[in-house]
Amino acid sequence: MKPPSEEHDLIRWLDGEMDETERAAFEARIKANPALAQEAEEMRALSAGIRAHLPAEMAVPHADFFNSQIQVRIGQMEIDEARRREAVAPVLGSLLSWLRQSWLTAAGAVAVAVVAFLSLRPSSEDAHSLILSSYTPSAGVQTVTFHDDNADATVLMLDGLEEVPADRKISGISISRSETEPEMASTTLFDAAGSPQLVIFRDAAGNPQFWASKPRG
Amino acid sequence: MRTLLPALALWIGCALGVAGQENAAPSAKPATEGKVWGGLVFATNDGTELTGSQEKAPATLPQLNTRLSKVFDFKHFEILGQHHQDIFREYESWVVPSRDLFLKIDSNGPADRGGVKLHLQVWREQQVLVKSDAVLRPDSPLFIGGPKWKGGRLIFVLSLERK
Repeated sequence: MKPPSEEHDLIRWLDGEMDETERAAFEARIKANPALAQEAEEMRALSAGIRAHLPAEMAVPHADFFNSQIQVRIGQMEIDEARRREAVAPVLGSLLSWLRQSWLTAAGAVAVAVVAFLSLRPSSEDAHSLILSSYTPSAGVQTVTFHDDNADATVLMLDGLEEVPADRKISGISISRSETEPEMASTTLFDAAGSPQLVIFRDAAGNPQFWASKPRG
Repeated sequence: MRTLLPALALWIGCALGVAGQENAAPSAKPATEGKVWGGLVFATNDGTELTGSQEKAPATLPQLNTRLSKVFDFKHFEILGQHHQDIFREYESWVVPSRDLFLKIDSNGPADRGGVKLHLQVWREQQVLVKSDAVLRPDSPLFIGGPKWKGGRLIFVLSLERK
Protein backbone atom coordinates (compact mmCIF):
# COMPACT_ATOMS: atom_id res chain seq x y z
CA MET A 1 0.00 0.00 0.00
CA LYS A 2 1.36 3.42 -0.97
CA PRO A 3 1.80 6.06 1.69
CA PRO A 4 -0.69 8.97 1.39
CA SER A 5 2.10 11.40 0.50
CA GLU A 6 3.09 9.28 -2.52
CA GLU A 7 -0.55 9.07 -3.66
CA HIS A 8 -0.82 12.83 -3.34
CA ASP A 9 2.40 13.39 -5.30
CA LEU A 10 1.20 11.08 -8.05
CA ILE A 11 -2.03 13.04 -8.47
CA ARG A 12 -0.20 16.36 -8.45
CA TRP A 13 2.24 15.02 -11.05
CA LEU A 14 -0.61 13.84 -13.30
CA ASP A 15 -2.42 17.16 -12.95
CA GLY A 16 0.72 19.11 -13.78
CA GLU A 17 0.76 20.90 -10.47
CA MET A 18 4.45 20.29 -9.72
CA ASP A 19 7.09 22.90 -10.38
CA GLU A 20 10.22 22.00 -12.33
CA THR A 21 12.28 20.85 -9.37
CA GLU A 22 9.48 18.75 -7.83
CA ARG A 23 8.63 17.13 -11.14
CA ALA A 24 12.28 16.16 -11.78
CA ALA A 25 12.57 14.66 -8.32
CA PHE A 26 9.32 12.74 -8.65
CA GLU A 27 10.19 11.38 -12.07
CA ALA A 28 13.50 10.20 -10.63
CA ARG A 29 11.52 8.31 -7.96
CA ILE A 30 9.35 6.76 -10.69
CA LYS A 31 12.40 5.49 -12.52
CA ALA A 32 13.79 3.97 -9.36
CA ASN A 33 10.50 2.33 -8.31
CA PRO A 34 8.96 -0.08 -10.86
CA ALA A 35 5.70 -0.42 -8.91
CA LEU A 36 5.26 3.34 -8.75
CA ALA A 37 6.14 3.57 -12.45
CA GLN A 38 3.47 1.04 -13.34
CA GLU A 39 0.87 2.84 -11.27
CA ALA A 40 1.80 6.17 -12.79
CA GLU A 41 1.45 4.72 -16.28
CA GLU A 42 -1.97 3.18 -15.50
CA MET A 43 -3.29 6.42 -14.02
CA ARG A 44 -1.97 8.47 -16.90
CA ALA A 45 -3.68 6.15 -19.39
CA LEU A 46 -6.94 6.36 -17.41
CA SER A 47 -6.74 10.14 -17.24
CA ALA A 48 -6.04 10.39 -20.98
CA GLY A 49 -9.01 8.12 -21.76
CA ILE A 50 -11.37 10.28 -19.70
CA ARG A 51 -10.13 13.48 -21.32
CA ALA A 52 -10.54 11.96 -24.79
CA HIS A 53 -14.24 11.26 -24.20
CA LEU A 54 -15.20 14.53 -22.51
CA PRO A 55 -14.87 17.92 -24.22
CA ALA A 56 -12.75 20.39 -22.29
CA GLU A 57 -15.32 23.15 -22.79
CA MET A 58 -19.06 23.07 -23.43
CA ALA A 59 -21.08 25.82 -24.99
CA VAL A 60 -23.91 27.26 -22.84
CA PRO A 61 -27.19 26.55 -24.63
CA HIS A 62 -29.16 29.68 -25.54
CA ALA A 63 -26.39 31.92 -24.17
CA ASP A 64 -28.08 35.16 -25.19
CA PHE A 65 -31.28 34.33 -23.36
CA PHE A 66 -29.28 33.26 -20.27
CA ASN A 67 -27.32 36.53 -20.15
CA SER A 68 -30.43 38.67 -20.66
CA GLN A 69 -32.22 36.93 -17.77
CA ILE A 70 -29.29 37.64 -15.42
CA GLN A 71 -29.35 41.33 -16.38
CA VAL A 72 -33.11 41.52 -15.77
CA ARG A 73 -32.70 39.95 -12.36
CA ILE A 74 -29.88 42.35 -11.36
CA GLY A 75 -32.03 45.31 -12.42
CA GLN A 76 -34.97 44.06 -10.38
CA MET A 77 -32.78 43.67 -7.27
CA GLU A 78 -31.56 47.29 -7.61
CA ILE A 79 -35.13 48.59 -7.84
CA ASP A 80 -36.20 46.54 -4.78
CA GLU A 81 -33.26 47.88 -2.74
CA ALA A 82 -34.10 51.50 -3.63
CA ARG A 83 -37.76 51.04 -2.63
CA ARG A 84 -36.72 49.47 0.72
CA ARG A 85 -34.46 52.47 1.54
CA GLU A 86 -37.31 54.93 0.77
CA ALA A 87 -39.74 53.03 3.02
CA VAL A 88 -37.37 52.75 6.01
CA ALA A 89 -36.12 56.35 6.10
CA PRO A 90 -39.28 58.10 7.52
CA VAL A 91 -39.92 55.31 10.04
CA LEU A 92 -36.34 55.53 11.26
CA GLY A 93 -36.64 59.29 11.66
CA SER A 94 -39.83 59.14 13.74
CA LEU A 95 -38.37 56.31 15.85
CA LEU A 96 -35.31 58.44 16.68
CA SER A 97 -37.45 61.43 17.73
CA TRP A 98 -39.64 59.11 19.87
CA LEU A 99 -36.56 57.69 21.57
CA ARG A 100 -35.47 61.22 22.52
CA GLN A 101 -38.48 61.63 24.86
CA SER A 102 -37.46 61.78 28.55
CA TRP A 103 -40.07 59.38 29.96
CA LEU A 104 -38.58 56.60 27.90
CA THR A 105 -35.42 56.66 30.01
CA ALA A 106 -37.41 55.65 33.11
CA ALA A 107 -39.34 53.02 31.15
CA GLY A 108 -36.05 51.62 29.87
CA ALA A 109 -34.73 51.29 33.41
CA VAL A 110 -37.87 49.39 34.44
CA ALA A 111 -37.54 47.09 31.45
CA VAL A 112 -33.91 46.32 32.33
CA ALA A 113 -34.96 45.52 35.92
CA VAL A 114 -37.69 43.16 34.71
CA VAL A 115 -35.31 41.36 32.39
CA ALA A 116 -32.75 41.01 35.20
CA PHE A 117 -35.42 39.65 37.57
CA LEU A 118 -36.61 37.10 35.02
CA SER A 119 -33.10 35.96 34.21
CA LEU A 120 -32.18 35.53 37.90
CA ARG A 121 -35.34 33.56 38.73
CA PRO A 122 -34.74 29.80 38.81
CA SER A 123 -36.27 28.03 35.84
CA SER A 124 -39.03 25.51 36.49
CA GLU A 125 -36.57 22.70 35.73
CA ASP A 126 -34.40 23.81 38.64
CA ALA A 127 -37.30 23.47 41.05
CA HIS A 128 -38.47 19.93 40.46
CA SER A 129 -36.96 16.47 40.53
CA LEU A 130 -35.29 15.15 37.39
CA ILE A 131 -34.61 11.79 35.84
CA LEU A 132 -31.21 12.16 34.20
CA SER A 133 -30.90 8.68 32.73
CA SER A 134 -32.45 5.26 33.05
CA TYR A 135 -31.54 1.74 32.03
CA THR A 136 -33.66 -1.39 32.06
CA PRO A 137 -31.78 -4.70 32.05
CA SER A 138 -34.81 -6.53 30.57
CA ALA A 139 -35.06 -6.03 26.83
CA GLY A 140 -38.87 -5.89 26.79
CA VAL A 141 -39.13 -3.09 29.34
CA GLN A 142 -39.30 0.53 28.20
CA THR A 143 -39.09 3.67 30.28
CA VAL A 144 -40.86 6.97 29.73
CA THR A 145 -39.94 9.97 31.87
CA PHE A 146 -41.70 13.31 32.12
CA HIS A 147 -42.73 15.99 34.57
CA ASP A 148 -46.44 16.43 35.21
CA ASP A 149 -47.22 20.02 36.18
CA ASN A 150 -50.72 19.19 37.43
CA ALA A 151 -49.39 16.54 39.80
CA ASP A 152 -46.25 18.52 40.50
CA ALA A 153 -44.34 15.27 40.22
CA THR A 154 -41.68 13.69 38.05
CA VAL A 155 -42.75 10.41 36.51
CA LEU A 156 -40.71 7.37 35.54
CA MET A 157 -43.09 5.00 33.79
CA LEU A 158 -42.02 1.38 33.34
CA ASP A 159 -43.91 -0.34 30.56
CA GLY A 160 -43.64 -3.94 29.46
CA LEU A 161 -43.05 -5.35 32.94
CA GLU A 162 -44.26 -8.83 33.71
CA GLU A 163 -47.58 -8.63 35.54
CA VAL A 164 -47.68 -9.70 39.17
CA PRO A 165 -49.97 -12.74 39.45
CA ALA A 166 -53.37 -11.78 40.86
CA ASP A 167 -53.18 -14.50 43.51
CA ARG A 168 -49.89 -13.14 44.80
CA LYS A 169 -50.33 -11.28 48.07
CA ILE A 170 -48.45 -7.96 48.08
CA SER A 171 -47.97 -6.90 51.66
CA GLY A 172 -46.50 -3.65 52.87
CA ILE A 173 -44.56 -2.77 55.98
CA SER A 174 -44.06 0.47 57.84
CA ILE A 175 -40.45 1.45 58.53
CA SER A 176 -39.46 4.50 60.53
CA ARG A 177 -35.70 4.18 60.77
CA SER A 178 -32.76 1.94 59.95
CA GLU A 179 -29.34 1.06 61.26
CA THR A 180 -26.62 -0.04 58.92
CA GLU A 181 -23.77 -2.34 59.89
CA PRO A 182 -20.98 -1.73 57.35
CA GLU A 183 -18.84 -4.59 58.64
CA MET A 184 -21.66 -7.05 58.23
CA ALA A 185 -22.96 -5.33 55.07
CA SER A 186 -26.43 -5.44 56.50
CA THR A 187 -29.16 -2.95 57.35
CA THR A 188 -31.76 -3.46 60.05
CA LEU A 189 -35.11 -1.74 59.56
CA PHE A 190 -37.23 -0.70 62.54
CA ASP A 191 -40.89 0.23 62.82
CA ALA A 192 -42.26 3.28 64.67
CA ALA A 193 -42.23 1.39 67.97
CA GLY A 194 -38.52 0.63 67.54
CA SER A 195 -39.03 -3.05 66.86
CA PRO A 196 -36.81 -4.56 64.16
CA GLN A 197 -38.83 -5.69 61.18
CA LEU A 198 -36.30 -6.71 58.57
CA VAL A 199 -32.59 -7.22 58.03
CA ILE A 200 -31.34 -6.69 54.49
CA PHE A 201 -28.10 -8.20 53.31
CA ARG A 202 -26.64 -9.26 49.99
CA ASP A 203 -26.03 -12.86 49.00
CA ALA A 204 -22.94 -14.14 47.19
CA ALA A 205 -24.43 -13.01 43.85
CA GLY A 206 -25.00 -9.49 45.16
CA ASN A 207 -28.77 -9.86 45.28
CA PRO A 208 -30.66 -8.48 48.28
CA GLN A 209 -31.96 -10.96 50.81
CA PHE A 210 -34.27 -10.40 53.75
CA TRP A 211 -34.47 -11.80 57.20
CA ALA A 212 -37.80 -10.98 58.76
CA SER A 213 -38.73 -10.93 62.41
CA LYS A 214 -42.21 -12.03 61.38
CA PRO A 215 -43.27 -14.38 58.59
CA ARG A 216 -44.54 -12.82 55.38
CA GLY A 217 -48.10 -11.62 56.04
CA MET B 1 -21.23 -18.59 58.23
CA ARG B 2 -22.29 -15.92 55.78
CA THR B 3 -25.97 -16.74 56.23
CA LEU B 4 -25.59 -16.68 59.99
CA LEU B 5 -24.48 -13.06 59.96
CA PRO B 6 -27.89 -11.57 59.12
CA ALA B 7 -29.51 -13.70 61.79
CA LEU B 8 -26.94 -12.38 64.21
CA ALA B 9 -27.64 -8.84 62.95
CA LEU B 10 -31.36 -9.35 63.49
CA TRP B 11 -30.67 -10.64 67.00
CA ILE B 12 -28.45 -7.61 67.66
CA GLY B 13 -31.16 -5.41 66.19
CA CYS B 14 -33.70 -6.93 68.56
CA ALA B 15 -31.32 -6.44 71.46
CA LEU B 16 -30.67 -2.84 70.40
CA GLY B 17 -34.39 -2.23 70.05
CA VAL B 18 -35.00 -3.43 73.59
CA ALA B 19 -31.97 -1.58 74.92
CA GLY B 20 -33.01 1.54 73.02
CA GLN B 21 -36.40 1.50 74.67
CA GLU B 22 -34.87 0.99 78.10
CA ASN B 23 -31.76 3.16 77.97
CA ALA B 24 -31.97 5.31 74.80
CA ALA B 25 -28.18 5.32 74.44
CA PRO B 26 -27.15 7.25 71.30
CA SER B 27 -25.19 5.23 68.73
CA ALA B 28 -22.74 6.58 66.12
CA LYS B 29 -24.67 7.25 62.90
CA PRO B 30 -23.12 7.29 59.43
CA ALA B 31 -23.13 10.63 57.61
CA THR B 32 -26.29 11.32 55.63
CA GLU B 33 -27.36 13.51 52.70
CA GLY B 34 -30.99 13.87 53.74
CA LYS B 35 -34.01 11.71 54.25
CA VAL B 36 -36.55 10.19 51.87
CA TRP B 37 -40.02 8.82 52.19
CA GLY B 38 -40.83 5.83 50.01
CA GLY B 39 -44.31 4.43 49.61
CA LEU B 40 -45.74 1.51 47.67
CA VAL B 41 -49.15 2.41 46.29
CA PHE B 42 -51.77 0.15 44.75
CA ALA B 43 -53.84 1.92 42.10
CA THR B 44 -57.08 0.33 40.96
CA ASN B 45 -60.52 1.12 39.55
CA ASP B 46 -62.10 -1.79 41.41
CA GLY B 47 -62.71 -0.83 45.03
CA THR B 48 -63.30 -4.45 46.00
CA GLU B 49 -59.66 -5.23 45.21
CA LEU B 50 -58.31 -2.82 47.86
CA THR B 51 -56.40 -4.58 50.62
CA GLY B 52 -57.73 -2.52 53.51
CA SER B 53 -54.33 -1.03 54.39
CA GLN B 54 -54.58 1.91 56.80
CA GLU B 55 -51.25 3.53 55.88
CA LYS B 56 -51.35 7.31 55.47
CA ALA B 57 -49.10 9.57 53.41
CA PRO B 58 -46.88 11.90 55.43
CA ALA B 59 -47.98 15.50 55.98
CA THR B 60 -45.04 16.63 53.86
CA LEU B 61 -46.70 15.04 50.83
CA PRO B 62 -50.17 16.61 50.72
CA GLN B 63 -52.96 15.39 48.45
CA LEU B 64 -50.97 12.43 47.29
CA ASN B 65 -53.96 10.53 45.92
CA THR B 66 -55.16 13.54 43.94
CA ARG B 67 -51.71 14.08 42.52
CA LEU B 68 -51.38 10.40 41.59
CA SER B 69 -54.75 10.54 39.83
CA LYS B 70 -53.40 13.30 37.55
CA VAL B 71 -50.86 10.86 36.17
CA PHE B 72 -52.39 7.41 36.60
CA ASP B 73 -55.91 6.85 35.30
CA PHE B 74 -57.32 5.03 38.36
CA LYS B 75 -60.03 5.84 40.91
CA HIS B 76 -58.51 4.37 44.06
CA PHE B 77 -55.00 4.73 45.46
CA GLU B 78 -54.02 2.77 48.54
CA ILE B 79 -50.69 2.98 50.36
CA LEU B 80 -49.63 -0.59 51.07
CA GLY B 81 -46.41 0.21 52.91
CA GLN B 82 -44.05 3.08 53.63
CA HIS B 83 -40.52 3.72 54.73
CA HIS B 84 -38.71 6.79 56.10
CA GLN B 85 -35.04 6.33 55.30
CA ASP B 86 -31.81 8.27 55.76
CA ILE B 87 -29.74 8.67 52.60
CA PHE B 88 -26.34 7.47 53.71
CA ARG B 89 -23.43 9.36 52.20
CA GLU B 90 -21.04 6.42 51.97
CA TYR B 91 -23.27 3.38 52.13
CA GLU B 92 -26.16 2.13 50.08
CA SER B 93 -29.60 2.89 51.49
CA TRP B 94 -32.61 0.63 51.11
CA VAL B 95 -36.16 1.89 50.91
CA VAL B 96 -38.40 -1.08 51.58
CA PRO B 97 -42.11 -0.34 51.94
CA SER B 98 -42.62 -3.92 50.77
CA ARG B 99 -40.42 -6.93 50.20
CA ASP B 100 -42.07 -7.28 46.79
CA LEU B 101 -41.04 -3.92 45.36
CA PHE B 102 -38.27 -1.84 46.89
CA LEU B 103 -35.51 0.59 46.10
CA LYS B 104 -31.77 0.84 46.55
CA ILE B 105 -30.31 4.34 46.72
CA ASP B 106 -26.71 5.50 46.39
CA SER B 107 -26.01 9.14 47.04
CA ASN B 108 -24.04 11.10 44.43
CA GLY B 109 -23.91 14.19 46.65
CA PRO B 110 -25.92 17.40 46.88
CA ALA B 111 -27.41 18.83 43.68
CA ASP B 112 -26.32 22.28 42.51
CA ARG B 113 -29.60 24.09 43.16
CA GLY B 114 -31.02 22.11 46.04
CA GLY B 115 -31.90 18.48 46.50
CA VAL B 116 -29.67 15.47 46.15
CA LYS B 117 -28.24 13.49 43.24
CA LEU B 118 -29.08 9.80 43.48
CA HIS B 119 -28.48 6.55 41.71
CA LEU B 120 -31.68 4.54 42.03
CA GLN B 121 -32.35 0.87 41.50
CA VAL B 122 -35.89 -0.43 41.58
CA TRP B 123 -35.96 -4.08 42.63
CA ARG B 124 -38.73 -6.61 42.33
CA GLU B 125 -37.62 -9.41 44.63
CA GLN B 126 -34.37 -10.65 43.01
CA GLN B 127 -34.66 -8.68 39.78
CA VAL B 128 -33.59 -5.12 38.99
CA LEU B 129 -36.37 -3.47 37.01
CA VAL B 130 -34.62 -0.19 36.28
CA LYS B 131 -31.46 1.69 37.14
CA SER B 132 -31.66 5.43 37.03
CA ASP B 133 -29.70 8.58 37.82
CA ALA B 134 -31.91 11.28 39.24
CA VAL B 135 -32.00 14.57 41.08
CA LEU B 136 -34.54 14.47 43.89
CA ARG B 137 -35.80 17.79 45.24
CA PRO B 138 -38.11 18.63 48.15
CA ASP B 139 -41.83 18.96 47.40
CA SER B 140 -41.30 17.27 44.04
CA PRO B 141 -41.98 13.54 44.40
CA LEU B 142 -40.95 10.88 41.95
CA PHE B 143 -43.74 8.56 40.77
CA ILE B 144 -42.46 5.25 39.41
CA GLY B 145 -45.10 3.32 37.49
CA GLY B 146 -44.43 -0.34 38.28
CA PRO B 147 -45.98 -3.67 37.30
CA LYS B 148 -49.68 -4.37 36.88
CA TRP B 149 -51.45 -6.27 39.62
CA LYS B 150 -55.09 -7.37 39.96
CA GLY B 151 -56.18 -5.18 37.06
CA GLY B 152 -54.52 -2.19 38.67
CA ARG B 153 -50.95 -1.04 39.00
CA LEU B 154 -48.25 -0.84 41.67
CA ILE B 155 -46.67 2.58 41.99
CA PHE B 156 -43.57 3.50 43.93
CA VAL B 157 -43.50 7.04 45.31
CA LEU B 158 -40.22 8.55 46.43
CA SER B 159 -40.06 11.96 48.08
CA LEU B 160 -37.21 13.95 49.58
CA GLU B 161 -38.11 15.20 53.02
CA ARG B 162 -37.17 18.73 54.01
CA LYS B 163 -34.45 18.96 56.64
